[in-house]
Amino acid sequence: MVEVSAEAVATLRQRLLDQSLPMPKRYRALFSLRNCRGDAAREALVAALSDPSALLAHDCAFALGQMQDPGAMAPLQRTLEDRSVHAMVRHEAAEALGAIGQPECLPILRTFAEDSSKEVAETCQLALKRIEWREKCKNGGKKNCQSGGQQSPGPQDHDHEEQESESAAAGVERSPFLSVDPTPPAPDSLSTEELVSLLLDSSKDMFDRYRAMFRLRNRATPEAICGIASALEKDSSALLKHEVAYVLGQIQSDLAVQPLMAALADKGQHPMVRHEAAEALGAIASKDCVQLLESFSSDPEPVVAHSCEVALDVLHFESQEGAFQYADVAVQG
Amino acid sequence: MADEEHHFEHKADSGASKTFPQQAGTIRKNAFIVIKSRPCKVVEVSTSKTGKHGHAKCHFVGIDIFTGKKLEDIVPSSHNCDVPEVTRTDYTLLDITDEGFVSLLSDKGDTMDHIRLPNDTALANQLKEGYSAGKELMVTVMSAMGEEQIAAVKDVGPK
Repeated sequence: MVEVSAEAVATLRQRLLDQSLPMPKRYRALFSLRNCRGDAAREALVAALSDPSALLAHDCAFALGQMQDPGAMAPLQRTLEDRSVHAMVRHEAAEALGAIGQPECLPILRTFAEDSSKEVAETCQLALKRIEWREKCKNGGKKNCQSGGQQSPGPQDHDHEEQESESAAAGVERSPFLSVDPTPPAPDSLSTEELVSLLLDSSKDMFDRYRAMFRLRNRATPEAICGIASALEKDSSALLKHEVAYVLGQIQSDLAVQPLMAALADKGQHPMVRHEAAEALGAIASKDCVQLLESFSSDPEPVVAHSCEVALDVLHFESQEGAFQYADVAVQG
Repeated sequence: MADEEHHFEHKADSGASKTFPQQAGTIRKNAFIVIKSRPCKVVEVSTSKTGKHGHAKCHFVGIDIFTGKKLEDIVPSSHNCDVPEVTRTDYTLLDITDEGFVSLLSDKGDTMDHIRLPNDTALANQLKEGYSAGKELMVTVMSAMGEEQIAAVKDVGPK
């Protein structure tokens, strides 16, 4: 994260909150703010948690989780508690609380671990286990954490290098992506075959299935990628499938393009899954999916339609020669 | 017999001058990197802001370790880059031929005659002048990706 002038943060905040702007522009402001240090950037994202667009609001919750600023816990808790809020936003607020990882969030996560929304309930269960796992690492030393956990506990800013040195100090493995994941990866001793069958086994605990998925993501061999992608078709959990789509976007492999396109086009899939599939396609930036993203930009479900617009913006950015800064903090017009 | 051994060692050396993969996000300033198939030393690295998927891009500015040419590349931080194996070996200068080759003696007592005078004229002159003046010169040969070049000269006193 970087220090940014108050004026630049104010401009980004204005853009983020301006409902008359196209969604891709608001999204770039969102992820620019995610890279800014300080209270003003955090408060801008907090202000957008109540945006009428569930898509934008949920990604603000996501960004707050990634920033791991304990100052965001109170507003995220209020979002989770408010049953009038879109379930997708509540789910992301719960995930963000898990990402921030402070034990003081355990009571509220326990309260909503049986929420009537399945996605919210499952996310709270994952977040509870993540925080408990981290506490165990802290108390048990590094030996308990050898199999994963990319950050050491603490409210610090998590810059790339900071994260790296912290995890190196703790002797644990860091995510190859600059993301704070909902679970650590499963032990590296498991074979790709074992990991895929664990991922696809709905009788297994969600935390362990997620762990299998993150190990497969870190492995990123063709077998691992196809194994992850097969969950989009085969599994029934919308929560698992949305995370599957997200990690496929992280890997950016063309092998995932067909399964993701199928998930986006399948109106029987949960909007959360279709949304993550669209954004993953944007990140992979294969020209093959431009047409599909364009056609679903007018989907009746706004979460899907806006995701496709954002995905096209990311796709065009990624396709540029020398593309470097998607979420710039040096604000231009 | 000695000749055979010499050839064998030489082959083993060039076999080791390959590349290995390293995650872009972990490559720092002053490290080595392959840009456009050339071995480079990183003189500048900057990382972009992270987007939704945690992607960041690394912008590398490198200097070709043999030609001194500046090269640039942008790579996602999670992707692997090729990193050249760069070795430096010291030899004693035995001779400079009229064709611009040097004859070198390794500390194991092997001679090597296939290296040219360096492209760097100052360095080449230092070698030629020192050699004519009868000084004992140590040269450092840098090798990477099958290429070799004299990178430094040290005067270790009169012969």
